[in-house]
Amino acid sequence: MYIILVYDVGQKRVGKMLKLCRRYLSWIQNSVLEGELTEVQLKQLKAEAKDLMEKEDSLIIFSSRNERWLDKEVIGEEKSSTGQIL
Amino acid sequence: MEKTFYLFNPGRLSRKDNTLKFVPVDENGKEGQARYLPVETVGQLFVFGSLDTNSALYNFLGKQQVSVHFFDYYEHYTGSFYPKEYLQAGKMQVCQTLHYADPHKRQRIAKKLVDGAAFNMLRNLKYYQSRGKDLEQQIEGITLLQQSIPITDDIPMLMGIEGNIRQVYYTAFDKILNDFNMGGRSKQPPQNEVNALISFGNMLCYTACLDQIYHTQLNPTVSFLHEPGTRRFSLALDLAEIFKPLLVDRTIFKLLNKKVLQSRDFDDKLNRVVLKEAGKKKLIEAWEERLKETIKHRALKKSVSYKHLIKLECHKVAKHVMDMQGYEPFKAWW
Repeated sequence: MYIILVYDVGQKRVGKMLKLCRRYLSWIQNSVLEGELTEVQLKQLKAEAKDLMEKEDSLIIFSSRNERWLDKEVIGEEKSSTGQIL
Repeated sequence: MEKTFYLFNPGRLSRKDNTLKFVPVDENGKEGQARYLPVETVGQLFVFGSLDTNSALYNFLGKQQVSVHFFDYYEHYTGSFYPKEYLQAGKMQVCQTLHYADPHKRQRIAKKLVDGAAFNMLRNLKYYQSRGKDLEQQIEGITLLQQSIPITDDIPMLMGIEGNIRQVYYTAFDKILNDFNMGGRSKQPPQNEVNALISFGNMLCYTACLDQIYHTQLNPTVSFLHEPGTRRFSLALDLAEIFKPLLVDRTIFKLLNKKVLQSRDFDDKLNRVVLKEAGKKKLIEAWEERLKETIKHRALKKSVSYKHLIKLECHKVAKHVMDMQGYEPFKAWW
């Protein structure tokens, strides 16, 4: 499953959320990450995120069956690539 | 979906926030922008550049079951960091070793491996034959040699036939390729562009097989066709035989004939030919694409990627040594 994850959490939890998400997905912009996950991995990520979140926090996950069905256009600076070659 | 990451730039890889952090360093020792690799989706790392790490990272990688493969400046495979086996099975180990030790049982598997490899080579040749290349001679030659596989009675003889098949097969390369000439296999060092690609591609195939073996209960050091030596995972060499024609050779033909790779992607100074960095990246991209490609599996009745096909092959060998189901090599049916 191809995932785009966006979070908006209280200032105190921003760092924690970023650290958690970086274990599963590639960071592309502040509070935005993307990547390919299995269903189990996504469930794990969700469970861990829920533990961390409090009532005013929000986390949105956009998912698509495959990266193929996703058009991505970057305007301006690309903050970080998601490629496999470093 | 486990991903492979290829590290070309020199830099430092470290454990940070329970994930991996890569900081590239340029010639002047200046650090570039850090990139975090999502450790949960990393399957293995290929290290081509000089990498700076510490044991804390390897402890972490070991726990996360990420293997690391190292290559020297001339892109020779130098070794792997292989995390502790997590699927140990004593019974499997004993069965696998017994199959190696009994000459008849060993030859049964070895013959199948050579037969599968020959079949897949023929499949390649027939494909290009249908595309208007004159490969009649090579097809006939290999078919003839293939018939002598069942009547061999020791491993060196079988290896000899395997060598002959490959020799005939490689003569077809010059006919299949439009702009490049191979003129025989040369390695250590490769003498021309095609040989450089084959060496690099075979190495990728070998490590892909090793990685899949890791996820089964098989022991990668006990092999059947190749002699199990020290300091190498020879079972991966055995399995790579079957997949080289389909994965490596077809990728090479495609890249060269479609002019994705050109002579400027190679470095031919110093009495050898190796891929330049840009060339390596192009080959790796194509290789990753190839592994992800899926085919409809007849027995399983579902789409299976080439990468998964390698794992299925491991399972077949495992079932064979446990005497559950006779091993039949993977033969491309399309």
